Amino acid sequence: MYRYDQFDARLVAERVAQFRGQVARRLAGTLTEDEFKPLRLQNGVYLQLHAYMLRIAIPYGQLSPAQLRRLAEIARDYDRGFGHFTTRQNIQFNWVALKDIPDVLAKLAEVEMHAVQTSGNCIRNTTTDHFAGAAQDELLDPRAWCEIIRQWSTFHPEFAFLPRKFKIAVTAAEHDRAAIRVHDVGLHIRQKDGVTGFEVWVGGGQGRTPVIATLVNPFVPEAQILDYLEAIMRVYNRFGRRDNKYKARIKILVTELGEAEYIRQVEAEFAAQRDAEKINLPKAEVDRIHAYFAPPALAAKSESSKLFEAAKVADPAFARWTRTNLHPHKVAGYTSVTVSLKPLGVAPGDATDSQMEVVAGLSEKYGYGDIRVSHAQNLILPHIALDDVPDVYKALDAAGLGAANESRITDMIVCPGLDFCNLANARSIPVALEVQKVFADPAYEEDIGKLHINVSGCINACGHHHVGHIGILGVDKKGEEFYQILLGGRADEKAALGEIVGPGLKAEDVPGAIHRVVEFYRAQRTSPAEKFIDTLERLGHQPFQDALYAAG
Amino acid sequence: MTSVRPKLKPETPKAVTGWSTATGRSLWLAVDGSWTEDASRLGVFAGDEAEARLAASLKQEGIVTDPYFMEVTADGRITGRESLRETMRAQPVLAYGGAA
Repeated sequence: MYRYDQFDARLVAERVAQFRGQVARRLAGTLTEDEFKPLRLQNGVYLQLHAYMLRIAIPYGQLSPAQLRRLAEIARDYDRGFGHFTTRQNIQFNWVALKDIPDVLAKLAEVEMHAVQTSGNCIRNTTTDHFAGAAQDELLDPRAWCEIIRQWSTFHPEFAFLPRKFKIAVTAAEHDRAAIRVHDVGLHIRQKDGVTGFEVWVGGGQGRTPVIATLVNPFVPEAQILDYLEAIMRVYNRFGRRDNKYKARIKILVTELGEAEYIRQVEAEFAAQRDAEKINLPKAEVDRIHAYFAPPALAAKSESSKLFEAAKVADPAFARWTRTNLHPHKVAGYTSVTVSLKPLGVAPGDATDSQMEVVAGLSEKYGYGDIRVSHAQNLILPHIALDDVPDVYKALDAAGLGAANESRITDMIVCPGLDFCNLANARSIPVALEVQKVFADPAYEEDIGKLHINVSGCINACGHHHVGHIGILGVDKKGEEFYQILLGGRADEKAALGEIVGPGLKAEDVPGAIHRVVEFYRAQRTSPAEKFIDTLERLGHQPFQDALYAAG
Repeated sequence: MTSVRPKLKPETPKAVTGWSTATGRSLWLAVDGSWTEDASRLGVFAGDEAEARLAASLKQEGIVTDPYFMEVTADGRITGRESLRETMRAQPVLAYGGAA
């Protein structure tokens, strides 16, 4: 993974010292909250419903064991013993006191981490495929380009005060696991005539106005991608709606200008860049960054493992977990393990300090020191030998991390909701946990197959409800929580927005309604191989809607 | 501050609430002028006294952040349009494992 050079280290250390002074002045009352708010937000500090929240950047979701151990230490010493992994592949601590945050940031700096640009109207953490560098189906490892984009976008003076926040995602696999078409900019790495380049999608997003991104350019050669991104950002910076927060995202600009005119403006800006303005990325520098992401020196293994096969025969629970939580690795004899942070009864995406330490230890012992965070709020051990999978599973299961549910119905993306968030209108976590209970039988859940439920506590859609196969949106009606159900969303290469199917339901009615929809699917599917979303798209929404609102 | 703040009539009973500047914990102004993390100890104010209490709170930047009026009944129970949010602020919340 990327390692800080002397400039990175100094930059982060100076930023911590600067914020320490700002916090001291706030605590002394010499800075008002109005003055302090933009400063704290630039350092990832929010004031939420019950406490400050600190959001820490995990660039493209990659962590070393030392970094994960440090996060565990912070959870234990400064929070309530757990942290919350987010859909931006970051982590949030929900109970950190402001007076302690400079110390926390100093501890993070020691392991090359920070909270810069995790908030505010700037370019946020660039996300990518959580199996990057390991996935069988990827063209190449996208992380080096994520790192180049990170370096370009961090403290970029021209883009520090954008009309609104800005999110970029990169994938290099045909099956899009990074949800690039619901990002402000989505980049799909392609190759054409031996040249690596990017398919560029712009103007996707969720929130109160969900939009699927527009294909703006089918191929921008890698040598030009930063210039092209600069052109996109400049057009947005110049014409983005700063007069209205709710119309300030780039998706509104693209929609209002229209696809053709928007593309014309970006291409004109791109063409107008003078040579002196162009970002001349030296090949040596690109190669240097690529070298940080060289594949680990995996020991040679045979394609199959007798140990692995024997363990599956001996333990049906392990066998089930291998069917759901393993992903094909590009090297024979290896696999990528999803560590589910969605055990029954736990807020999705939460991990305790001791669980983080278990995962860090497994990464050191078996996983070549590589850990990822997925946008679905799970952790990944990308390089595990099949021979070692039984031991990894035993350790995970003993730590409460053995749930066999990756991409299954209990593996929900869920925002913090009104249990934590100041913006939320309704709770997300309790309703998600109640839905989980309906599908608690592992055999039943496995039979249902892949099905994504995403839950948000308000229209800001942090729980990605627009792109869940089933979306759940919490609303407040005169002091009472109701939940609207959406059907048909998806975040992959066939990205689509779910549609609200009817009036909101009371919280207690949601699990039964979801159960009826799932049972309707099971009755209608052509075979167990036909996934929920495929049956839904084949039959249309109406019969599912009828099942949803049928008398319980 | 981004949550909705309904305008309350002068005679409406109200409490003054905000967040501890040091810790971020929810605070309520007690009758004796101290700040408490226990919502059951909140003071109920109305009219000019309420305005004076809020004005004084707004000057305590290093102690309390973003103080505002919250609607309550005469006996101090949370009520009004923001009652769901304010009830959540006053309650223990989810810890790991879903327990309060």
